[in-house]
Amino acid sequence: MAMLKTILGNLLRPPRTRDPADMPEVPPVYRGALAHDAARCTACGTCAFVCAPKAITFTQEPGVSVSWHFFIGQCSFCGLCAQNCPTRAISLQADAPGATNSAAGDGLRLESVIRLQPCTRCGAAHVPLPDATIEALWGVEEAERGYCPECRRRAASEKLRAAFVPAEEAHHDR
Amino acid sequence: MPYSFPLGPYHPALEEPFKVKVQCRGEVIDSATVEVGFSFRGIELLAQKRNWVEVITLIERVCGICSNTHAMTFCMAAETIAGIEVPKRAAHIRTIIAELERLHSHLLWAGVGAEDIGFHSLFMEVFTLRELVMDTLEAISGNRVNYGMNCIGGVHRDIPDPKRHLPALDTLSKGLAEIVIPTFTENPTALTRTRGVGRLTREQAVEWAVVGPVARASGLDIDVRKDQPYLSYADLGFESVVRPEGDVLARVVVRALEMVESIRLIREALLSLPAGPLRATQGVPEIPSGEATIRTEAPRGEAFYYVASEGGATPARVKIRTPSFVNIPAIEAMVVGQPLADLSIIQASVDPCISCTDR
Ligand code: SF4
Ligand code: SF4
Repeated sequence: MAMLKTILGNLLRPPRTRDPADMPEVPPVYRGALAHDAARCTACGTCAFVCAPKAITFTQEPGVSVSWHFFIGQCSFCGLCAQNCPTRAISLQADAPGATNSAAGDGLRLESVIRLQPCTRCGAAHVPLPDATIEALWGVEEAERGYCPECRRRAASEKLRAAFVPAEEAHHDR
Repeated sequence: MPYSFPLGPYHPALEEPFKVKVQCRGEVIDSATVEVGFSFRGIELLAQKRNWVEVITLIERVCGICSNTHAMTFCMAAETIAGIEVPKRAAHIRTIIAELERLHSHLLWAGVGAEDIGFHSLFMEVFTLRELVMDTLEAISGNRVNYGMNCIGGVHRDIPDPKRHLPALDTLSKGLAEIVIPTFTENPTALTRTRGVGRLTREQAVEWAVVGPVARASGLDIDVRKDQPYLSYADLGFESVVRPEGDVLARVVVRALEMVESIRLIREALLSLPAGPLRATQGVPEIPSGEATIRTEAPRGEAFYYVASEGGATPARVKIRTPSFVNIPAIEAMVVGQPLADLSIIQASVDPCISCTDR
């Protein structure tokens, strides 16, 4: 009898199955496909340091470039690389990561080549820093933008010295 | 004539591999031996090879269901070693996630249990409700499993609009009160398959040292949330659920009523979310030499962590004892004298999680 009531009741009710479009909205904190912006990457290695399954690796061609590699098959989408990247070069997008369709498949690996640049002062090859990072870290003038870290440090300390020590005394010191 | 019969490692009841070798006399089980270890991954050793940031991602994968418990307990151990106090807001958020996780774990169990006694429509109802919990977890953490919420010193993500999650809790309370609990406790089909089945007396529960809902269904009032309150449980107040019968039905009822209590805890934690920072520390944590043991109440019972540090980049030792590890052997005591057909629901009533048992 109870069953009859249920059946009759259900005949009048719409189905409860959710249709494919009835999806919960993708939350802003969703961790989906990984994207990497080579222009912002400083090859600092933080992302590889925090990546437990070692999905991120680096290779280098000495004096020419540093390459950032990512293999989706090893990624656990923990998001730690994006959270810890100091220049926000990595982001985990709202779209779902690609499914593996072939072993050699495209889209399973990401590679970014970061070309080294010669220092405009000493000529040493170095990883160029993104403008925003330079601004935040050094706040340097246009002319010093292309310096390698070593020259940038030297320029900064020279500037400091000039600000504190009068020119003549500085001369004495030497 | 007595015969022996291996059930598993591939299973009628569960997705995970473990083996029960039963000795039967006709339809009745004489004795059983449980074997685990089919999905051993060596996480404890791997943990010694991962730095303090990476290791949390690794530990979170000890279990696919109560992933947060493991990451959280590990972080609590590291915080104890380093003497870091977690901000109040972070403790509340951890509590909310832990209780949501208990909800989805118990609902998953209720669904699997219903399926095991051949009650498919109840399975569907339960999983519809579970979907609400999963959606809430996804909205907060960004993921349905492996939430990645914990870091040493606090949590990674905030709950910006706590009130938003209240309607889902209301629907859930209603679903539990109107469908899940009455069906399990009043429906004759469900009752005949669970009442008096797979009993574990209080004495046996002590002897087999079971924990969590299995212990509480045998009249042992043990719950870390009450006995040694951590996170925000002392602030929120906590009532443990205990039943004396010790049969499958009692385990069902304990879990069902625990869900009601979890909903209350989540609601109160959401409404009283204190303001403040999410993390006590910034950047890569430095953990000095030392050791700590931490107990928390996972959905299946007491999870125990021992973490030792030698001040290096990686933990020196991480020892994990999961609740299923102590609950699973008790199946041997529960099945004696029971019909073979009840074996699957008896096993399932322990809510065995092989992933964390084998870790
Ligand atoms: S992606 Fe970010 S964290 Fe990784 S190397 Fe580049 S700058 Fe560093
Ligand atoms: S999301 Fe996690 S697992 Fe994936 S690359 Fe980043 S740190 Fe590694």
